[in-house]
Formats: sequence, C-alpha cells, structure tokens
Amino acid sequence: MSIYILPILFIVLFVYCIYKRINTYDHFVKGAKGAIKLVVDIFPFIASILVAVALLRVSGITSFLTNLLSPIFNLLGIPPELCELVMLRPFTGSGSYGILESIFNTYGADSYISRCACVIMGCSETIFYVATVYISQTKVKKLLYAIPVALICSLVGTILACLICKVM
Amino acid sequence: MLGSMLVLLITNPSAVLSEMLGASADALKLCIELCAVYAVWMGLIELVDASGLSEKLAKLLRPLIKKIFKIEDKETQKLIAINVSANMLGIGNAATPLGIKAMQALDDKSGKANFAMIMLIVVNATSIQLLPTTVIGLRASAGSANPADIIIPTLIVTFCTTVLGIFLVHQIDKLKRRKEEKKR
Repeated sequence: MSIYILPILFIVLFVYCIYKRINTYDHFVKGAKGAIKLVVDIFPFIASILVAVALLRVSGITSFLTNLLSPIFNLLGIPPELCELVMLRPFTGSGSYGILESIFNTYGADSYISRCACVIMGCSETIFYVATVYISQTKVKKLLYAIPVALICSLVGTILACLICKVM
Repeated sequence: MLGSMLVLLITNPSAVLSEMLGASADALKLCIELCAVYAVWMGLIELVDASGLSEKLAKLLRPLIKKIFKIEDKETQKLIAINVSANMLGIGNAATPLGIKAMQALDDKSGKANFAMIMLIVVNATSIQLLPTTVIGLRASAGSANPADIIIPTLIVTFCTTVLGIFLVHQIDKLKRRKEEKKR
C-alpha cells in the first residue's frame, strides 16, 4: 500500500496546481534552484562531522563507546549498530544524514537496521541545534525543562521505532 | 576530534590524513546526492506553497495550536502554525526562520523560557512529520526496493512522541504552578 502514497500525493498536488492555474514548471524550477544554495550551505558542516566521525571510528573510540553502551541499548531493544546515530542525532542534522548514508551502505537500504535508522531520523530532531538557534534572537538564558523533556521524547521515539520496525 | 587524533597518534599515525580526506570525499558525494533529493522536494514544496496549500494547512492547525500553546495573539499563532506545518512536510530548513520569529514574539524578556516557548522547542524537537522527505530520497538513491515503506512507522512513532512531549510539558507546568501556589 505504501508504494502508492507518494505518487498519489504528487498527482493530487499537480492537479490542484493546474486547477489553481499555477505555472507548475516555473515554480518547480524556482524551488529546485534553492537546493544548490542549501547544499553549499550545509556541505562544510557535513564534511566536518564526517571527518570527526571517521577519526572517532578508526581510533576505536566509537567501538569502545558502543561496547560500553550496548548492554543498555540491548536492554532498551535498540540494535547496537545504531549507537552512533542515536548519540549524534541530537547534535547535528547534516552529520546524522551522513551516518544514515553509511548505515545504508553497510547494511543495505532495506535491512532492519536501515529501516530503524530511517524511522529514528524521522521522529527526532537536532535538539541542541534547534534550541540554540531558536532562542538565539531572544533574551532567554534559561531553558528550564525544555531540553530534558525533548531528550526523553527522543529516547522513547527511538525505542518505539525499533519495536515498530520489527512488526511493520 | 582532538581526542581521537591523540589516540591515533599512538595506534595508527599514518591513518589520520587519509581517513580525513576519505571522509571529506564521502561528504561531497553525500552532498551531491542531497542536492538531487532537495531539488525534487523543494520544487514540489514550492508548488505546495504557491498553490496556497501551506496557508490552508496552517489555518487548519490554528485552533489546535491555540489550545496546546495557550496563546491568544493571532500573529504568533500563525507563525507557529506555519512553523509546525513546515516541519510536518519535512522541510526543517524552511521552518527555522519562522520558529525564530515566533520565539521573538513569545519572549517576555524575563530571561527565562516561558510555557509557550518550551512547548515550541519540544514540539520542534519531537518534529511531527507527515513526510520524511530527505530520508525517503536518500533511501531511494541507496537502492531501496520501496523507500516509502517507512512513512507509516514514522508517522506512528512521531505522533506518539509529540503527544508525549506535549503531555509532559503540560504536566510539569501544572506541578510548577502548584508549587508556586504553596509558597504563597
């Protein structure tokens, strides 16, 4: 069934645009143009994070941490292969896309691990980044309980994601 | 980063530069893929925007937002509504500028985050997503047979976490108020 979701949505969108007499081609081109600028903006961040992650990996720190945390992860039902993603996700959006990509390459895009990773990406956010950027233009210095609540929700989401991918 | 370099200095000094360059090349490859993914989605999202569908979605969400955030100001409600709907469509980058504006409107200059501000951060952090666009795109280019089959699980999980987030913030707020009343 899920195969049909996207094509149907797209058709509805195009039909609606034609009904509203919007020049679909021009607007599509305009939107697509923004992609280049966006990628140029995020490339430095992706590069830096991937370099840092690569160093962490070859130096063995990652596997050390994974080993350390895997009993906890196992207890929560999270595959230890996802350790890196779960730990980095709250800090960097572009970097976690890099990790997602390497999970795809290592385990295959349709494996259980990859599907879990996808759902985790979908249900969580770069909490620290969002919080920093959002309050950057205000006078707020104390976020009180915002971060802990967000982190708890992310963790619950991760556990749920791993459970749901087992059955769906 | 420094830590791992120090470890490598002892274990495998020749790997440092080659690993860094390799990772950077991977980043470039990923960015080219992302560029293709973004081009398609941003083109489509531009259509959603131009056709007035995003405004409609925002309007639809407004009563709900009024209830969750407990705010009366119409302009702020609209900002939050568009911010949330951009998140729903998986365009976090479009949501950010609106989120910043909404935060400024909510700021009471006390230096502490108030209820609505905390709620906005939590709702953004749990990110209600209808369409995880980038993830689907990347998965398709990694050769998945059915890249969209994660939509429904994502929907279920993201719905649960968002409800949990809203519930927790409301509960903590209630507890805090009770404490303050007791002090008086």
